Parts: sequence; structure tokens; C-alpha cells
Amino acid sequence: MVTAKASAISHSTSSTSMETPASTPTSRPFNLSSPAADSDQTDTLIEISDFDFYYGTKQALFDINLKLDDKRVTAFIGPSGCGKSTLLRCLNRMNDLIDGTQIKRGGVKIRGVDIYGREVDSIELRKRVGMVFQKSNPFPKSIYENIVYGLRIQGVKSKARLDEIVEKSLRGAALWDEVKDRLHESGLSLSGGQQQRLCIARTIAVEPEIILMDEPCSALDPIATAKVEELIHELKKQFTIIIVTHSMQQAARCSDKTAFFYMGKLIEYADTRTIFMNPANAQTEAYVSGRFG
Amino acid sequence: MQSETQPSAIAGHQPKAFAVKKARTRFFGLTLDECIRVFFGGNAFVAVIVLALITFFLFREGGPFFKMNRDSIRVYRVAGLEYVDIIRQQEQDHTALTRYLFDIRMKVVKQLRDERGGLIEADLKAARLTVEKLLSNGAAAGAPELIQAQMRVDEFQKADSALTLEINASLAAFDKFAERYGDTVLPVRGLVSDIGEVATGIKSRYTENEDYKVARAQYLAAGKKTEADAIVLKEIDFKTEVAAITAIFPTYQQMNQEFAVGLKRVVNDLPILPVPALQPRMVRFSELTDLYLAGFPETEVRLKAWDQLAPVPWYHALAGFIFGKQWLTASFWQDWYGVVPLFVGSLMVSMIALAIAVPLGVGAAVYINQIASSREQRLIKPAIEFISAIPSVVLGFFGIAVLGQSLRALSQVEALSWIPGFPYSERLNALTAGVLLALIAVPTIFTLAEDAINNVPRAFKEASFALGASKMQTIIRIIVPAALSGIISAVLLGLGRVIGETMVVLLCAGNRIAIPDFTAGLAVAVQPVHTMTGIIAQEMGEVVRGSIHYRALFVVGLVLFFIAMLINFLAQKIVRKYRISVG
Repeated sequence: MVTAKASAISHSTSSTSMETPASTPTSRPFNLSSPAADSDQTDTLIEISDFDFYYGTKQALFDINLKLDDKRVTAFIGPSGCGKSTLLRCLNRMNDLIDGTQIKRGGVKIRGVDIYGREVDSIELRKRVGMVFQKSNPFPKSIYENIVYGLRIQGVKSKARLDEIVEKSLRGAALWDEVKDRLHESGLSLSGGQQQRLCIARTIAVEPEIILMDEPCSALDPIATAKVEELIHELKKQFTIIIVTHSMQQAARCSDKTAFFYMGKLIEYADTRTIFMNPANAQTEAYVSGRFG
Repeated sequence: MQSETQPSAIAGHQPKAFAVKKARTRFFGLTLDECIRVFFGGNAFVAVIVLALITFFLFREGGPFFKMNRDSIRVYRVAGLEYVDIIRQQEQDHTALTRYLFDIRMKVVKQLRDERGGLIEADLKAARLTVEKLLSNGAAAGAPELIQAQMRVDEFQKADSALTLEINASLAAFDKFAERYGDTVLPVRGLVSDIGEVATGIKSRYTENEDYKVARAQYLAAGKKTEADAIVLKEIDFKTEVAAITAIFPTYQQMNQEFAVGLKRVVNDLPILPVPALQPRMVRFSELTDLYLAGFPETEVRLKAWDQLAPVPWYHALAGFIFGKQWLTASFWQDWYGVVPLFVGSLMVSMIALAIAVPLGVGAAVYINQIASSREQRLIKPAIEFISAIPSVVLGFFGIAVLGQSLRALSQVEALSWIPGFPYSERLNALTAGVLLALIAVPTIFTLAEDAINNVPRAFKEASFALGASKMQTIIRIIVPAALSGIISAVLLGLGRVIGETMVVLLCAGNRIAIPDFTAGLAVAVQPVHTMTGIIAQEMGEVVRGSIHYRALFVVGLVLFFIAMLINFLAQKIVRKYRISVG
């Protein structure tokens, strides 16, 4: 499965990590079971530096500098319109789809590869950096077809392999037991929470390295939310997760590190415990204690 | 206003009236708001009323057609025309066989020419071209090279006619055979012609008498008794009159026997064709003749069983319209109102139009909505929508003057002769009309399909991109399937638009009332056809109000009306389903 482009992204991994086995030629470039996963010593996976982003002439992000850790959950919090979703969408270049967006300064590096570099194919990038959206958006196809969509477009044809991945992904998204008997019913026939987990299953089916979650629970009821949060705990063993959320409890519950944004600027970035217990910045404190936002 | 009249409880403290009432101007007892409501409601109901009125009048004008058609078929039978047609059918089948023979001859000639004459033809063509070139270059009449070229033309022409003579000579035996084959039918043909005259005589006297009856009734109604009495009615005694026709049966039987024997004798002596490869066709021809002969006894049985007074069931009038293969009006023999040729014509032209318009319209919609830059959108969208603003008569004119001509010219390009039906000579045909109708359907299909694509939630597209799909993959696998029902209903409404279009087909379809020859395969597309809309527009102006022909046209209108309703109904149903599926 090592494609030419994937290896192009990973060719300079060794510079950022001492422990990743990327130097052994047989292993996958973005190894899913990095030995760093369970230790306190983590690697920087994503490095955002001096990042200025514009929608047309309106500047949405100001001079963002942020290092995100591998195999960790990072939460982006902040009031509406603070740029947290914008930054998230910059990480898999979804903003390319919007007319008039541009990066005036800085860049984003994943394992040292500038994802806005000229040779980077945004399609290959998105295969490595998956995304779950605010509103669940399964395709108007069967559950099975929803999961295998990402594989079909990559040209996977083997029925046995597709079946295997469907089961694995649905189990991974804690949905298998609920839908295993009706894989060929429409994905739209599921409940809201199930639909969102279906979207997560669909994302992990293509085995990305990073999963971006854009307020994944904002349209869900508390029980469905709890299930998704539980899932996030499970997923962080395999994936690096970046989650944008409006709910500070959610950020506190699921994330290892939290970044607080305000008016397009990164105000504070630290361990989640620190942000909530002992924030360094007055604005952060005002926000997490609920005084504005 | 009671509160004002009541004295206040506390003096000096006037309680304020609870001001909720307001004087309203009323028109016919309605307040302004109600008037507005009535106005809009009335406007909305006008559509329903108009639809009901149209349906009612179509039925009122068209409905009596079936009774009249039944009467017409009854006369056809009772006056003996049906009897004559049974024999005539036999004669016509023979003619068809003769055509088959002629077809073989053409093939032989072509083959022989290709074998030996191909070269001469090419030379002749080249030589003629040289002469033309010289002349257009201004060569003087006596110029030596011109004379030389003309001599070459003469030379090749001579060779060519010599070849024709030679071919004709080699086909002498065949021609003799064909002539003898054709002659065998002559006695029967003569008989048909004789009794046919008798039958038309009976029928025309009957119609004349019916007309007199009507005139007489009119005089009587106007109280003009003398004029009414002046009209002498002559009732036709069908039974005795038609006996003169059926009396020929023994003669016919004998004639038929001789005919059969004669045919067999001719066919037993098949000529050898100068092209051996085509000999199997001759064998096939002899088989066909045998088949034809085997049908003779059945014809006799039918003639014997024929009953002039057998009743015409009501459904014959209906079936005669719906399944009738002939639309034949103002004929000396018998008028037939069969909608099939018109229906097939309409359908064929529409299918050609859709075959062109669907890829164009849907493709353009996908491109404009998903791929085009906003500058392209601003340029292309109004351009496509403008097409629908062109009056169809202008398009028809364009079709006659430009498109028909250039399509024919295109068909005669030798490199394109592999396309079925190319080259062709009829300038106005189903293809010409279909191409123009496609132009009319494109804006409808484009606009509605673009709407459908635009309604696909953006979330689908984003999800697809987030899974690493390319733009094309997203369009083909997600957007078009999600918009499919909308696209289908767009195509259906495009079909509705096309099938109801009149002016273009009237001007460009060629207006030949006949079922196209589908044995030609795809080449059927270049045959001239007539359509349901076209026939109404063409004939409505010249029919007598209230006549069977007039009513038949209304029934065609009814058919069109129902087709349009069906298409719209389907399109709406599909669109509704589509809305649910997206949620």
C-alpha cells in the first residue's frame, strides 16, 4: 500500500522523530502503532508556523504557531468565529474548495512535509488526513457503500478485502453490533448518533494518520455524544485526533492538549489540565470559566 | 363603542377606550384584505378552471370521432369496399415481391459496376473535373488542353455506356423472368380495378344520398316544404348492389388458379444471375413466392366468409385509431385515421432530439455547476437559457435554410459514409427536426438538471473530498447519483417540451405520413416523418368543421394532451421522491 505520493510526504520523517521506525524500509510511512503512543514523550506530528490565512480580503487567522502531538487528542476551543474550524480545515486543505482563500504567510508541516508545497497532491493528503464533519453527512447510499467509498475510489476491488475493512471499520467505530444485519440499508436510515459514527467508520476505513473532527457532537443528544467521546478515547490509540468543540466539558473530557483561540489568534496552548485549572492568560480563564463566549 | 356611552365610575377620570377596533372600507361587503385574498385565490383557480375547460372541449370535439369512425367502417363494409380490399391485398403482396426482384437487379448492377466499372466511373469523374477546372480558370473555347480533356470525357462516357449495355445484356434472362413474373398478376389486377369501381360507385351514391338527407332535413327545419320535396332521395339497396361484386367470386377463383399455376411455372425456371454471390437471394425469392402462393386458399376462405352485414363492434373504431397504420384522408377509396404513423413520427423525432439534448444538457449542467469558473458561468448560463427565447418558427426557418442543407451536404462527404443512413437526399427529415428540437430541449434539461445538481447538499461533496476523492470521482460517484432523480425528471420535462413542439417539426420533419421503415436500422433517422403536432397544425385549417377528419384531429390533440400530462405527472413524482431521499 505504499504509494509513491505517500512516500513523498514521508520522506523526511526522520528529521522530526528519533523513534519512529520510518527508517526501516519495509514499514508503512505513517506507522499506525508508533512506539511513542503510550509514553509521555510524544513527537510533534503537525507543525503550524507563522500562519496567516485569508478569506478573500478578510484575514481569518493571525500568525498561528502550534505544534500538535502524535497519537494524542488535541482540542481547539474558542467562541464562534474565532477561526478554530478554519484552522482545522487548513490541515487537510479543505479550504482549497472555497473560492478566494489564500495563505499569505507561514505554512503547515506534517512530519516535516509542507502540505502546501508545490508537489503535494491535496487528494493524497486527504487520504492521510481524514475528516468528520459537524453535521453527519453519510452519502445517500447503503451503509456498506458508505464505508467502502474511500476504498473504491482508490481502486480496491476485492470483495473479501472490502468486507473485511467494513467489519473492521464498523467495529472500530463501535457501530458493528448495531448495523451488522442491515449493511445494505441506506445510511440515511440510521439515527443521528449512528450516522455520525458511520461517518467516523467511513473515515477510518481509508486508514488515515490523522482524523480531524469539526464539532462532531454538536448535533447529537447526550447519549450519542457519550458514545462518540468513548470512541475518541479508543481511536487515539491508533490515530492522531484534532477536535474542534464548543463544549468545554467535552474538551476537558477527551483531549490531552487544548488550544484556545480568540478572534483568529491562538491565545493559549497547553495541557488540557493546565488550560482548565490554571490558565496563564486572562482571556482563557474568562472563557473556560464561562464568562464570555 | 359601548364603553364611550357608559358613564365613568369615577368622575373626572375618563377610562381610555380599549382601541382595537378600526373602521374598515368595504367593497361589496368585503374588507380590503379579503378582496386581496379573493383576487389571488381567483387567479390561482383560473389555472384549474382553464385546464378543466380544455379537457372538456377536447373531449366534446373529439369524442364523436369514434362514433363517426365506426359509421365510416360500417359503410366501408356494407358497400363492399372491404371485399375488394381483400383481393387487392393479394395484388399488393405480389407488387411487393416484384419490388424485391427489382432490388436484386439493382444489387447485381451495382456489383457488376463495382467489379469492372469502378475504374471507368472514377476516370469519368476526374475527366469532368478537369474540364470544369479549365473552364473556371478561363480557358478559351478552342484551347488545346480543353479539347483534349473534353475528348477524354467523351471517351470515358462511351466506355461507360458500353458497360451499361453489357450489363443489361447479361441480365437479359433475368429481365425476361421479371417481366413474366410481373405479368401473371395482370388479370387479377384488372378484376380488382373493375369491382373497385363498382364499390366506389355504391359508396359515392350512398354519401350523396346522405348529403341530400341532411339538406332535406335543413329545408324542413327552415319550413321550406317545397324545396324539401324537390329533393328526391334514392335509398341504396346495399344487398343487391353488392351482389354484383360478390358475383365475381367464381371468376376470381378460376383466375386465381391460373394465376397460381402461372406463378409456379415462372418461378420454377429461375434465371442464373451474372453475379453468383447473389444467387441465394433468388432462391429466397422463390421461397417467398411459395409462401405467397400458400396464402391463396386463405384469401378465398376470407372472401367466402365475408359478410356484408356483419356488425362493426365499437372497439373497432377505437382500435382503428390507436393501432391504425394508415392516416389517409380525402381519398377516393376510404379514409383511414390511424394514429400510429404520427405517433411513431413524434416519438422518433423526440428520441433523436433527446439522444442529442440529454448528453449536451446534463453535461453542460454538470460542467457549469461543478467545474466552470464563475466567469464561464456568467457567459454560458445566460447563453443556454437564451436559446429557449428563440421563437421556434425562426428555428424552423433556420432548419430549412441552413441545417437541412448542411446536414445533407455533410452526409455526402465520402469519409462519413460509414454512418448509417449516410448519404441521404431528403433535406427535411427526422434527423433535421430532431437536431433542432434538441436545441429547444437543451435549455429545459440544462436548467432543471443544474437545479437538481445544485440541490445536492454541499456536505456530500465535502465528505467525498475528505475521503480523498478527486473532483471527477466526486462528480461521477456522488453528485450525479444524488441528483439522478432530478436529472431524470429534467429529461422527462425536456421530452414533454419536445413532443409538444409544433413549428419546427412542421417545417423540418419532411411531413411524409407513413410509418418509417425500421428495417433500415439506424438509417431510419434520416427518413421524413410526420408528427401528431404537425398534422394538427397542417390540417386543422382546411377541414370542414364537425367532419370526421376535424374530429380525428381533436382526438390526436387528446392523445398529445394525455402524453403531456403523463410526462409531467411522472416528472413530479420522481422529483418528490428525490426530495425525500435527501432528507
